[in-house]
Amino acid sequence: MIFIKVKCFSQVKYALGVDELTFQLDEDSTSNDLENIIRKKAGPKLNNISLRIAINQKYLIEETILQDGDEVVFIPPVQGG
Amino acid sequence: MIITPVTLNKQKNDFTIIDIRSSDEIGKFPLVGLNTISSPYGNKINIGGQKVLVCQYGIVTEGIIIEKNIKDAYSLLGGAQAWIEFYNDNEDLSRWARQTVLPEIGIEGQKKLLESKVSIIGMGGLGCPAAQSLVTAGIGNIKLIDNDEISLSNLHRQPLYSIEDVGEEKVVVAKSKLENLNPEVNIEIDNSFFDNENCEELLSNTDVIIDATDNIKSRQNIDQASKKFNIPMIYGGLFRFEGQVATLNVNGSPGYKELFPDPQSKEEDSCVEAGVLGMLPGIIGNIQALEAVKLIVGINKNLIGKLLIYDAMNHDTQVIEL
Repeated sequence: MIFIKVKCFSQVKYALGVDELTFQLDEDSTSNDLENIIRKKAGPKLNNISLRIAINQKYLIEETILQDGDEVVFIPPVQGG
Repeated sequence: MIITPVTLNKQKNDFTIIDIRSSDEIGKFPLVGLNTISSPYGNKINIGGQKVLVCQYGIVTEGIIIEKNIKDAYSLLGGAQAWIEFYNDNEDLSRWARQTVLPEIGIEGQKKLLESKVSIIGMGGLGCPAAQSLVTAGIGNIKLIDNDEISLSNLHRQPLYSIEDVGEEKVVVAKSKLENLNPEVNIEIDNSFFDNENCEELLSNTDVIIDATDNIKSRQNIDQASKKFNIPMIYGGLFRFEGQVATLNVNGSPGYKELFPDPQSKEEDSCVEAGVLGMLPGIIGNIQALEAVKLIVGINKNLIGKLLIYDAMNHDTQVIEL
């Protein structure tokens, strides 16, 4: 098992109602697996909102296998100005 | 009391000019064109009559005059640095003395700011504070682009506008208010809606674009123009208590398309629907202005290839490498 910390910003924070969460996942779990878990937990509030993912302050270009202790941020585009 | 290099030059025969710097500093940066008394230990600063005290940057002398309660004394604003620049190039940069003293800016950096042009697209929550800070920092040329009029609900976060301005064009009122802050700045205005058709004309001679818009489509249009004309853009976006800033498209660095290749968001996530507290655009708009200044001056610690996320609720920040 691996432990992953998710820091929540913008719509993700409002959908989940928390600043951060820790998940216990199977080894070989990927960034997409974690996004699916987050979307399921958030319900319809994240429908039609695209999310980019950063792991340990680095933007992901493609799906990546998560490592124990990774810190993950989901980043939606924000409109306001 | 302070005196600028321009005024001192006109009235230099009316004052005793006392240079309080060390002989080493005076040797390196002599006060050409002024008859001065050297007083490195300050033993002559209490002589009678009107006098001007000069240090390297005009900061030490302001303090000494107050601390020692010296009568009839002026501190030369910007100090020897500002005088030498004025004497050599006939340009008085002393009003920016507090930022030219920063080694990262200096006189050379200030000159770059004065010669630059920044175009701000969107004169709302982000555009107002960005414009204020850029004008006061001494950006020489600013273009304001917005087709909107001022409404009452804008006022809590758009501090350039007042009650009596409601119903007026934003760019017209903004230009007038900004010229009060710095009458020497050249401000162009355009009340068009920025799009792919008019982008080339709107961005002519622009060095840096401030993206202060409030929707994804506009950000995508700005990104395309930024790439096409090779003009960097400083992206800023807001969601409730949070903001994002990135410096994009600098000589091929990632742009908005690389940041959000297929952006989807909901209308109810805009400031109008989701709400915003006025201080947040103030913070984010100022960070955009800061990044524009760093880019123009050439300070290499910046947000090129990075996304800043700021949460004003718990003051958490993330700087994500793109």
